[in-house]
Amino acid sequence: MAHITLRDISLKDYGLTPRVSHLKNIYFKAMPEICIERPRLVTRFSLENGLFEKEHMSILDKARLYRFVLKKRTPIVRHSRAYEERMEPFEFKDAPLFAGSTTSKFKGVPLYPEFLALTLWPELWSISKRASNPFHITDSEVKELNYEIFPHWIEHSILELARKRCYEENREKYGLEKHAPEIKLFERLVFFMASKPNCISHTIPDFLRAIKVGLRGIIEDAKQRGEGTADPSQGEFYEALVEVLEGIITYSRNLAGEAEKLAQREANSTLKKELLDIARIQRRVPEFPAETFREGLTTVWICWTAIHLENPNVGLSLGRLDQVLYDLYRQDIENQSIDLQDAIELICCLWLKIGDHVPSIPEAGEQLFGGTGSNQAITFGGVDKEGNDAVNDLTYVMLRATELMKLRDPNPNARYYPGINSRDYLRRLCEVNLETGAIPAIHNDRAIIKALTSKGETLEQARDYGVIGCVEPGSNGRFYGHTGALLLNLTSALDLALFNGRHRNTGMDLLISKETGDPRNLSTFEEFKEAFAEQTRWLIDQATNLNNILGWVHQDFYPTPILSALFEGPMEKGKDLIQGGALINSSGAAIIGLADVADSLSAIQKVVFEEKEVSFADLLDALGKDFVGYGALQTRLMNPEKTPKYGNEDTVADTNVTWIVELLDREFGKKENYRGGSYRVGYWTMTNHAGFGRLTGALPSGRKARENFTSGITPVSGVTPSLIKALNSVANQPAQSLSSGVALNLKFTPESGERILDDFVAYMEGYFDDGDGKRDGGMEVQFIIEDHTTLAEAAEHPEKHPELLVRVSGYTAYFKDLNPQMQKEIVDRTEYSLSSGSMIPYPPFPLPKRTRR
Amino acid sequence: MRAKLKRVLLRPIPYLFSDAGGNFITKLWSKRLREELGGTATDKFLDLLLAGMDLAFALSKGYRKNIRDFEGRYLFRSADKRVASAAIFKDGDMHVDPEGAIDDWDVRVTFKDWKALRDFLFSGDQDILDSLLENKVEVDGNPNYIFKYGFMARDLGRRLGVG
Repeated sequence: MAHITLRDISLKDYGLTPRVSHLKNIYFKAMPEICIERPRLVTRFSLENGLFEKEHMSILDKARLYRFVLKKRTPIVRHSRAYEERMEPFEFKDAPLFAGSTTSKFKGVPLYPEFLALTLWPELWSISKRASNPFHITDSEVKELNYEIFPHWIEHSILELARKRCYEENREKYGLEKHAPEIKLFERLVFFMASKPNCISHTIPDFLRAIKVGLRGIIEDAKQRGEGTADPSQGEFYEALVEVLEGIITYSRNLAGEAEKLAQREANSTLKKELLDIARIQRRVPEFPAETFREGLTTVWICWTAIHLENPNVGLSLGRLDQVLYDLYRQDIENQSIDLQDAIELICCLWLKIGDHVPSIPEAGEQLFGGTGSNQAITFGGVDKEGNDAVNDLTYVMLRATELMKLRDPNPNARYYPGINSRDYLRRLCEVNLETGAIPAIHNDRAIIKALTSKGETLEQARDYGVIGCVEPGSNGRFYGHTGALLLNLTSALDLALFNGRHRNTGMDLLISKETGDPRNLSTFEEFKEAFAEQTRWLIDQATNLNNILGWVHQDFYPTPILSALFEGPMEKGKDLIQGGALINSSGAAIIGLADVADSLSAIQKVVFEEKEVSFADLLDALGKDFVGYGALQTRLMNPEKTPKYGNEDTVADTNVTWIVELLDREFGKKENYRGGSYRVGYWTMTNHAGFGRLTGALPSGRKARENFTSGITPVSGVTPSLIKALNSVANQPAQSLSSGVALNLKFTPESGERILDDFVAYMEGYFDDGDGKRDGGMEVQFIIEDHTTLAEAAEHPEKHPELLVRVSGYTAYFKDLNPQMQKEIVDRTEYSLSSGSMIPYPPFPLPKRTRR
Repeated sequence: MRAKLKRVLLRPIPYLFSDAGGNFITKLWSKRLREELGGTATDKFLDLLLAGMDLAFALSKGYRKNIRDFEGRYLFRSADKRVASAAIFKDGDMHVDPEGAIDDWDVRVTFKDWKALRDFLFSGDQDILDSLLENKVEVDGNPNYIFKYGFMARDLGRRLGVG
């Protein structure tokens, strides 16, 4: 159990060093640049070794490919050039404490042509001028991608390989059901998104093993196991691990060589020494066990760059670094080889490195889902495997670094166990949120551990959870959960129930799912609920079928030797992660539109069936006309005093929410994924609630067509006047039905004074633990602490607020990077006063306009 | 026959002029296409686009490089199926079937109207998304082919000085 030795856990006396301030300035000035090094090398190796002709990709082929890339990639110790907002180059002096780079650019956009890189193809000439999140690219890079790289992948992207498998003529060959509409549904966008065409990622590697035994130790283990097995597939697996780990070691040595070359040319003695230190460290780690805190951080970083070579930069997460690195940190502090300022500087430098890339998103994707970073979650605090307080000095050091840097990546998440972690710790978390306006998110250990054990994890595994991607809990280094596998638009199930198996987007003439009855002919609300449940089951069938088809394609074409080498389970099982090598296997579904659907059900229950104030026929007519001519009805439906709304401790509304989450947990729980694991359900939405909202018509809740849905598990904006009631409604939901995490998104008006911090802490304590044990407590909460006026100004004049950090629905983003729809959603979010606990009313914000550069 | 003759006559041009020269000549001969791209899309849009591409392939080595070693079969048809055109890329050349009489397409683009098709291929920002969301354009088959086609269409637009 860790012991706190810090005199002041806020570490207020420690700030940014000149080095970090300088690097941070460059970081914010630099625009993302497309990097073609990875696709160039991957394409070249694939062509030279006939990989495009293969029916399946063996793990050994993949491992050799990655070893080649690791050997050939540019070993960057110091960047020197980037591009600023007008896409003009600028030179700078780079002086990080870590060598290596996720891409060849200072802030890069890695491309994965195996996945969705080809979606950028049409806009290669214009991508640097697009209105949302432009990327710099040179003319020669455009030409190389267009002529030399992308054409080879036309038939070989994961989505295309899966699409071929869904062809009717292939059904016999692969044993799939005939006439399955999964791919078509997916392409319609409005039903669900399946993310496997873009990635799996979404996991936390086992860094502790690499730190403690070094990659050489893991290699020896693999070799021994390889020699000891008679199973050829296992033998090939172990050989593949050796290949990729040797590749990472080669890359590290190349970095050392580059650092030594730079040192030779460096006239400044301080900088020369820094480069030689880097070289010395790179020659030791990650090959051998880390012996210092800095070596431990370097091991994490170098392994991280390698993992991103293999796995797209979406949701890969760092886990509990305050636990993993604590022993090395404490040792160095005690032997005085570093002090607190050194430790903070090291972590700040590492945070900047971790944020050195952004995901590639095409133009159309920007309109729906723009503004996201790579969602690399990091987790602080909580309890250890024995259930004791795990908060230590390093937790506070990392929190301080996070507070000072205010970056969107890594995405900070703090675990809090009511009654075990201290009140001082919770207070500090609230304080950092007030200071930064958005970070960290806070997770309730008690509720989450209960949720994870309900899914079969042992208590020790569950206690060792880290946060993945946005907010999803998963046991560190042993949980391969693809937590973002599916994004299910729950309102589509509602549409299908309202229109008897038809969807407004696909046309009333087309029976998309199955007929569950014309609601105009239903007599009771229970009948409608059952129709909704039936459509939900159908939707879950389609989504999970597609996920499994995509998973099989991954198994055949995208083994993951690098991640498997740095994970608990594959070494012991002799099996790649994608084949089920992890100790804990599952797939995750995130649900979009919970509050909107729940409020719609409540409205139907009360207004149509109980009070019979409007017939179902008239309600459907109103929806079809987007409430034009039905103003009074819409007003009534939107009024929380007249129609039950989730978030007001209304029994009808909250019961409907509980019914939905239990339904989804139960129905998803019946499904098995392609790795032999289960499905878990979460309520976090990233920007998809804005995207899907744009696709969807008016709802019985009173929401008009194409308006944003509500984020995560949050109640609908503007209808929950009391903060305490909103918190209670959410906290009353059963934790075991929320096992893939939730995002409760709250917005507070900035207020000053010690009293505000006390109020903040009190609300959080009550949310997590009501004291009488009757409920599980709220699972998670995250904040935007900014008033709507400032946010509205930031939407109109982003140049005035370039570093404004907000919590979207899961991850953290810079407000200026979000698309107009998402900015509007955030401005419109319910804003509460901490001092009064009441909602601040204000009119809806108009949709911001964005013009091309 | 006329198309073949045209190709034969145009063949020396890329060797006599630079890529920029080829672009210039293409631009001169694509006035109507430029008008379609910059103004109202008419029922001639697709024919003009395909003709423009064909001309650019003939006149510009850089543009023709797009279809070197490339095979792809594209079908464009209107939602009411009254209009169809096919573009077949093979052996470094493009052949247009104005009747759209191909079955084994790699990708099929079904469009509600000409503006929808033009916006889908050329415009950025909201237009592509609106086209898909409002079912103005539907893509069947391997979407990677349409991504490539989108590049070629926009590259043509760039060479013509539009967009």
